[in-house]
Amino acid sequence: MLLVLSDEHKEHLGFLSEVDPVVVGEFGRIAVEFLKKGSNSKIYEGAARKLNVPTQSVQYGVEGLMYLLTESSKLMISEVDFQDSVLVLGFSEELNTLLLQLYLENRVELRHIQSELGPSLPCYHNLEWRFDVQLASRTLRQQVKPTVTFKLHLERGGVRSARVLQTDPATLLHLIQELERALAEVKSNHCRRILRNIK
Amino acid sequence: MRFRFCGDLDCPDWVLAEISTLTRISSVKMKLLCVQVIRDLLDEDIDYDKVAKLTSDAKFDSGDIKASVAVLSFILSSAAKHDVDSESLSSELQQLGLPKEHTMGLCKSYEDKHTALQEKLKESSLRLGRLEAVNWRVDYTLSSSELSEVNEPIVQLKLQSQDPESGSTDTTVVSVTADKFRVLLTELKQAQAMMNALQ
Repeated sequence: MLLVLSDEHKEHLGFLSEVDPVVVGEFGRIAVEFLKKGSNSKIYEGAARKLNVPTQSVQYGVEGLMYLLTESSKLMISEVDFQDSVLVLGFSEELNTLLLQLYLENRVELRHIQSELGPSLPCYHNLEWRFDVQLASRTLRQQVKPTVTFKLHLERGGVRSARVLQTDPATLLHLIQELERALAEVKSNHCRRILRNIK
Repeated sequence: MRFRFCGDLDCPDWVLAEISTLTRISSVKMKLLCVQVIRDLLDEDIDYDKVAKLTSDAKFDSGDIKASVAVLSFILSSAAKHDVDSESLSSELQQLGLPKEHTMGLCKSYEDKHTALQEKLKESSLRLGRLEAVNWRVDYTLSSSELSEVNEPIVQLKLQSQDPESGSTDTTVVSVTADKFRVLLTELKQAQAMMNALQ
């Protein structure tokens, strides 16, 4: 599928055709750095001074490149489609090859970063348990009441939290049965058919 | 194949794989490595330099060092968890392919520190809301805004406990009149008598 670039985006990228391909390569490297680690406006000022152009053009150029790269990796467009999309900008052959190189080299890593940006649920980290028997309380002596206590440790975006849960053995057995049934679902024909089609 | 030291379950595949890594170092070095791993399990400081020196002859890279520490950690803590005697542990490890001298070295270390390991594991078992500190003070109320002559003793109790879910310290302050305090004390003494009877 082709990438459709807005007019504003084309204008920002237009700046790249006015500079040396070496500089564009440098901008590409900066764009990838910024995507991995966050942007740093001082670099824009330094580059603008060296090239003798307004800081804003440099900023727009680099940000335009960043957006081009993220959109391309997000949609996982093929080489041919990328080249066709970039053709619209009217760049030189050399520039087009450079941009293609930049895309292909960084595609996998960018997709990896983008996959981590989606919404996340708290996920399992650790489970501690203990098995107790209540023998007596203030109001009733001579009891035998078994209980299982869990401390479920969860993690969400680097933050740990814990939940304390308690159950009697009958409920625990029921829980285990339900979970085993859920695991067995993966082996059913319906699930197998879907998994085969995804792979 | 069920193994007692794995809790009557199959031995995990990674343990089988790393046992063969362990055979690459001499049995004397392995015994010293066991001593270091046991120190780590008992929360004493593990000397990573010593570990690196012990494994340098066999040219272990950092992955191998981590793997051998992990497998020894697993074997020792799992055996202590399921209260396996050192004879059974020795025969099971030999069945898994650990040579006789290595097994003897490991089991000797295990036997020496068996009780200490179990004590440590007992201590780190799940406990909710541990009571950390108790402070008390007895005051004598002379008079108040409601009654000009009160003349009553009162106990202030400060209990510091661990929050079950977050693990941070919670402070609870209660003031108890003489009668209520007598009831509290009697009930707690009954609970104490029951605990002593069980020990």
